[in-house]
Amino acid sequence: MGSGAHALDHEIANTSRPIRFGLTAVVVRENLRFLDQWAYYLSKKMGQPVKFVRRRSYREVMDMLESGSLDFAWICGFPYVQKRDPEFIKLISVPVYKGNPLYHSFIIVHNDSPYQSLNDLRGKTFAYSDPESNSGFLYPQYLLAQKGTNKETFFRQSFFTFNHAETVEAVADRFADGGAVDSYIWEYLKEFRPDLADKTRVINRSPAFGFPPLVARLGVDLETVWRMKRVIMGMDKDPDGRKFLNGLKLDGFGSSPPNLFDNIRMMALKIRSPQLRDNSTVSKAEANTVNTE
Amino acid sequence: MSWLNLFPKGLSVKFALTITGVVAGVAFTIGAVIVTLDWQRFQRELENKALLLAHSVAVTASEDILRNDYWSLYKSLKNMANQIPGRSQDTRVLTGMIQDPKGIVLAHLNPNENPLGKLPVHSSKIDTRLFTAALEVRKPTILTSSIGASGFLEGVAPIYSDEKLLGVVRVRLSYRELHLKAQRSAFVIIGITLALVLLGSLLGTAISRRITMPLTAMTEGMETVGRGELSEIKPIPVSNDDELGVLASAFNKMAKEMAEKKSLEEQIAVSEKLVALGRISAGVAHEVNNPLAGMMNCIDTLKKHPDDPELVERYLPLLDKGLNRIKNIVESLLIELRIEESEEKNHSTSLEDLRDIVESEINGRNIDFVWDNHMGEDVLINGRRVQQIVLNLLKNSIQAVPDSGVVRFRTFRDGDCVILEVSDNGPGIPAEYRNQLFDPFFTTKANGTGLGLWIVYRLVESMRGIIEVESEVGSGTLFQVTLPTIEVST
Repeated sequence: MGSGAHALDHEIANTSRPIRFGLTAVVVRENLRFLDQWAYYLSKKMGQPVKFVRRRSYREVMDMLESGSLDFAWICGFPYVQKRDPEFIKLISVPVYKGNPLYHSFIIVHNDSPYQSLNDLRGKTFAYSDPESNSGFLYPQYLLAQKGTNKETFFRQSFFTFNHAETVEAVADRFADGGAVDSYIWEYLKEFRPDLADKTRVINRSPAFGFPPLVARLGVDLETVWRMKRVIMGMDKDPDGRKFLNGLKLDGFGSSPPNLFDNIRMMALKIRSPQLRDNSTVSKAEANTVNTE
Repeated sequence: MSWLNLFPKGLSVKFALTITGVVAGVAFTIGAVIVTLDWQRFQRELENKALLLAHSVAVTASEDILRNDYWSLYKSLKNMANQIPGRSQDTRVLTGMIQDPKGIVLAHLNPNENPLGKLPVHSSKIDTRLFTAALEVRKPTILTSSIGASGFLEGVAPIYSDEKLLGVVRVRLSYRELHLKAQRSAFVIIGITLALVLLGSLLGTAISRRITMPLTAMTEGMETVGRGELSEIKPIPVSNDDELGVLASAFNKMAKEMAEKKSLEEQIAVSEKLVALGRISAGVAHEVNNPLAGMMNCIDTLKKHPDDPELVERYLPLLDKGLNRIKNIVESLLIELRIEESEEKNHSTSLEDLRDIVESEINGRNIDFVWDNHMGEDVLINGRRVQQIVLNLLKNSIQAVPDSGVVRFRTFRDGDCVILEVSDNGPGIPAEYRNQLFDPFFTTKANGTGLGLWIVYRLVESMRGIIEVESEVGSGTLFQVTLPTIEVST
């Protein structure tokens, strides 16, 4: 694979500008070699270099999409449903996980802790993943709003890990008494990092939400978008692609309508008004992202 | 060299012990200094490490604190704790924490017991003391607990943003590492010291043996000299030309010369014996010859006149006298042999028995005979030899003194010896005779045999005794015989 790969890399690099593909906390951060191989696979299929660009927060990825630094991105349902004026992304594919393009938000606590419900975590410490994450922030915020409690003072301390896997780690280390994670990541970790995940248990399971989708920047030429869509959605049809899907624990990439994310939009509307997006109640989240660029 | 010679209180052991002691002392002193220096160095290293670790966390902490990014604070602590190579039990970070200026935990490596947003728990007085001290820290500082193996030190680094104190980083390192390091170096040093001590003692033994072996050989040589066995002295090996070598070769030279002298003396003694034998033979011949000539004459005359009864009557006493004289001479010569051959050794007699014999020898002359026996009844004089010695000396004195002279006999014990003294106030012995005094057939008397003192000398010698003469012409003579008691009584 070595010399051929280099030759191809060289050829692709010389012929065209790389397609930049943004990733966030939705993918387990440690798996760099896997991502390199996947990028190589996509490059080969696209006949054009594909480069994964990893950023810490969804906000950064969204900003890069808006500014044109990214062509594609794997984002979360929550950023997807937010109002953009003008709109600069469009849905291209939604991963199929365990047969459906759906996942859940899990509220997890340490295995040895006595907590049985979110109520038990009052006055405790809590780990969110990303202020723009559906499963890692929006859903627990929505739960608190539903209870009519003060979202700002319910937990003694809360913080963002910007990575679902690290939320699991924070709970496993007991640095946080509770945390909100993506069910897909938690189940992934159950298999690949049992040392972390087995220390945690789920005390709250959300209704099904649309799986974090793949989006394309509106500025990318239709032909490239179409090719990317075909390559991504055709992965389950060739052995190499299935290998990567297997590594990602996904059935494949499918096509779903945008209304798959309506329940997320509904929650977002419940906790804050869309027009106040930049001045939201999530002041900590604002603070956390100001200096990341 | 016997086993005992290796472990006496002698030089060899003292020397070896001294060298061993000096080596041990020096090695232990140097070892102690190195251990102390090592300890200090390790402590400095540990302190630097703690400060460095605390500083590394503090550098990035201010941003995270301003952003309430507790997870990043925790992760940086965790990464710091995991970045120590090896991560073995002894090098690990005991704990680490980031606190705000009031002491509230912003991140703690033991989050279960020290949760975010609360004061840390103090499980000991030291914890409380360090907590208070850490909050007053305004520049990187080392705080320490006791120095024991379970002790620890903390690197404390304040976190500033634009000169505003945001908190402190505390990194607690165990002294265990320090103790293990010091222990390891102590073990090595103790090992080296013991090796040096062993080496020193071997060296000491070698040197002391090198020094004492010639000395021991010389001592043995001296003892051999003392026993008179000069020919048996083995030459001491001379290995070096140092003082010991010089001493050894001097001793060898002396021993050789003594052996030569002894053999020379023995040769002289042999030739003296031969001379004496010659003199004895000549004396015997002469003494026997004198009567023989008269006796031959008598026999010749009797042969010519066998029927003359007058001649027979006249010559038979002469023949008798002549033969008696020869018999006396032969008896005297054989006396020693006789005594040695006889069983009389075990026949104990008192010296008192001699008294009567001496009285008869005086034969009514006007001589003052003083008998002074202090020997005591418990000591029995065995054999005829002592009697013969005393008798011969007394006879000489009695013959030497003039009328109204004094002859004194005295005997007493002196330690392991019996002293016999015979003295008189006779004319004394002229100096020129003294060397011949004990020679056979030497006499100054007209009809003396010259064998009396010779017999005394031979008897004293046979009993391993000493005979001494003090004499002054005109004043008198003293013979003193010293005999070992053991010879006298057995």
